[in-house]
Amino acid sequence: MSDEKIVEMKHLVKNYGAGDFQTKVLKGIDMTIYRNDFIAVMGPSGSGKTTLLNILSTIDKPTLGSVLLGGRELTGISNKELSVLRRDKIGLVFQDYNLLDTMSLMDNIALPLSLNGSPAAECRAKAERLAAMFGLSGHLNKYPYQLSGGQKQRGATCRALITKPEIIFADEPTGALDSKSGKDLLDCLKRVNDSGQATVFMVTHDPFCASYAKDVYILSDGAIKCRISRGESRKEFYDRIIDVQTSMGGDFSCE
Amino acid sequence: MRMIRLAYQNFKGSFKSYLSLILSLAFTVLVFLNFQNIIYSDSFSVLGEHNKEYVDIVVQSVSFILGCFMFFFIWYSTNVFLTKRKKEIGIYVFMGLSNQKIARLYLIEAAFTGLSALALGILFGVFTTGLFQMILLALSEIAIDIRFQFTLEPVVITAVVYLAVYLVFMLKGYFGIVRSSVINLISAAKQNEYVRQKTGVLLLKTVFGVGVLGAGYYLAIRKGGQEVINNVLIAVILVTAGVYLLFGGLLPFLFQRLSSNKRFLYRKQRAIWINSLIFRMKKNYRTYAMVCVLMVCSVTALATGFAMRYRYDNMVRFRNTYTFQLLSGRDDLAGEAESRIEKYSGIACRTEIPILGLDSSVVSAHDFYSQYAFVPYSGMKRLSEQAGLSFPYDEPGEHEAIRASHLNLMSFITERSNVELTIGGTAWRQIEETNVPYLGYLQEIMSFYIVNDRDYKDLLSYGQEMYTYNYRIEDLGAFDAVREALGELTEGEDSDTARVAIDPNNTEMDWIKVLYSLCIFMFLVFILAGGCIMFMKLYNDAFEEKERYLILKKIGTKASVLKKAVKAELFTSYAMPFLIMGISSYFSVHALENVMNTTLLSVYAVSVSTVFVIFIICYILSVSVYLKNAGITSA
Repeated sequence: MSDEKIVEMKHLVKNYGAGDFQTKVLKGIDMTIYRNDFIAVMGPSGSGKTTLLNILSTIDKPTLGSVLLGGRELTGISNKELSVLRRDKIGLVFQDYNLLDTMSLMDNIALPLSLNGSPAAECRAKAERLAAMFGLSGHLNKYPYQLSGGQKQRGATCRALITKPEIIFADEPTGALDSKSGKDLLDCLKRVNDSGQATVFMVTHDPFCASYAKDVYILSDGAIKCRISRGESRKEFYDRIIDVQTSMGGDFSCE
Repeated sequence: MRMIRLAYQNFKGSFKSYLSLILSLAFTVLVFLNFQNIIYSDSFSVLGEHNKEYVDIVVQSVSFILGCFMFFFIWYSTNVFLTKRKKEIGIYVFMGLSNQKIARLYLIEAAFTGLSALALGILFGVFTTGLFQMILLALSEIAIDIRFQFTLEPVVITAVVYLAVYLVFMLKGYFGIVRSSVINLISAAKQNEYVRQKTGVLLLKTVFGVGVLGAGYYLAIRKGGQEVINNVLIAVILVTAGVYLLFGGLLPFLFQRLSSNKRFLYRKQRAIWINSLIFRMKKNYRTYAMVCVLMVCSVTALATGFAMRYRYDNMVRFRNTYTFQLLSGRDDLAGEAESRIEKYSGIACRTEIPILGLDSSVVSAHDFYSQYAFVPYSGMKRLSEQAGLSFPYDEPGEHEAIRASHLNLMSFITERSNVELTIGGTAWRQIEETNVPYLGYLQEIMSFYIVNDRDYKDLLSYGQEMYTYNYRIEDLGAFDAVREALGELTEGEDSDTARVAIDPNNTEMDWIKVLYSLCIFMFLVFILAGGCIMFMKLYNDAFEEKERYLILKKIGTKASVLKKAVKAELFTSYAMPFLIMGISSYFSVHALENVMNTTLLSVYAVSVSTVFVIFIICYILSVSVYLKNAGITSA
């Protein structure tokens, strides 16, 4: 494991509502993500998983506490700087793919890089390399409506990776996929993580999906209840996650 | 009853989003009503029976064009309405409503929209009729006091025409919904959005479109005889079809080629907006083509107006070359006539020439006149010097003639040399035609030919030689007195003198001035309609694009980049019809130049510039509304 800190969360608090009607969604989260980590956050419905992801991916802001991305404090920076940060440092993978149906898969993958002003040849070469890694080489000229859910999600992951972000935030990436497609995607994600190309922070309700991570954090009622680290076998890791889930009770379904 | 209440609630709830549709429909009603009102109002009757008749004919023709325009406009807007409604009312399928009931709901909602537009249009229309006529007459430089006047007929006619057209498209929508499958209703918004079209089909459309358009342009400007009117009509159809094919073929083809060239595409914001244009092209090309055709109509209408105005001024100048013309068997009338005139007014211009009058039994020409007149070349040359008119012609050869004709308002015969002519069984050739008013008003009532002096002498055996004495007086206030004085010359049984008096205050041709202002209005109507359609289209597109811009924001695209992409996309959307309009209207104005025998290049430049300015305004408005509707900037 690398010592380089990518994200640092310090006493992260998020409240919704005002006055007496305030609901505490996050109650002081402290966590550090190092380069090349693969972290999964699990938790029952309403535990604050999505709120945490939204804050980390700069879509939402915390009520209290701070988030440091690459050593830079996120709270208090302007929207314009946030856009640049989101563009250069963060890659996002959504449950519903969010590919643009107006363009081909090739254009979708290359888009962030071309908007950054990279030369066309570089955009193309990188998109093709990533597509090959994710088994999409034969589909580059197709449009999203011509692709399966799994192919779309792998395409979206390529798009997230093309700018070589510091970290990939994935929100229930297998949520809309069948088990085979979900497994394919996770294999790909694991491969890029193992080869040192990406740090991944993933929110999921699925223990099978979480078992691909190196560490699993269990979030409950706005606080981290426990951390489970992977051993040698993924099967054994999966069993441990299930055990913790069973011991905690509650509904771990998608929020 | 419950259905009506539900429809009413829907209508009320979504009133704001249909406001643009209601206002556009109300605008067409307002325009149609205003034009209809001219026929029934008595404002123009003061111009005299003759003028009123012409104005009515012109307004009827314009109303027909406006009726066609109303038809297409309602077709277009109800289609937009239907697509939008289908998506929303499709949800009722899940509540167990049958297609028939959903269609009935649509019918009632559409009726609310249509009737609101009609009511608004008529309300504002009635109030603006006075203003409209006032502007029309002011533009025509006709001074009449306009008073507010309400007549029921134009309102009824407008309502009937509008409702009839609207009903057709309402029923079309009704049956469309009844026949649709559930999946079609639910995914209505996604229909017709196939991203790429087959290159082969596009190429075929392109080649065909360029060919058809080229043929249209060629026919429009080709000179000729009577066939010109047919050519022009065919040209209109070909250019319209060509424009549609070009938008459906060439433009998507070009953009698809551009998007395949990644070196071009992956620069700046091109990947966003070019792909977006291609995505919408199949759905939008008809709109672009319609706007382009409307703009061509608009430019042509303005050019027609100006051409009419120029021609009117020239015709008045032509007719008033002389104030009095005497036609006599005597060759010594000049002194007597002049002394009678000079009692009341000075003489600004005087000319005289012998003419040989021949009737249609001796002469046959391509245009029919009961009286033909021949003048000797030397006499005409002298006359032109006296009148200070240019006469740049060499003496015609044997059996050759130069036609001295008058100015027509328009003539579809655009080829005027080498016309055959038969005099007393001998074939002659008309080598030239001139519109210079050497003999003023007489040229309007007789067909004049200039022949060489020897031929003139030979022709004398076919008819009788007469003398013409032509005068323009200095003091037009003395017109009546001089007419009286010259009239005495024509009195008496043995008098072989005739007098022609040309009243300088004659208003006989005032209807042409009204035509000019009507053309300006048509220009404005077409241009506003084009702008409206583009605006409406982009307004609706923006809502559909909202989701895509949200995705782009989520993946970290800066708002400034999105704004640039939107600007580039909208600019291209306006530039495409503008460009093709610019080329097409050049040919339509050129065709008009041939028919009206005038130069309209400056009018072309002015009208294209006006369209440009209006497009720029629409573009700026569209950008700001689009950015708000697409959620790029906050409302």
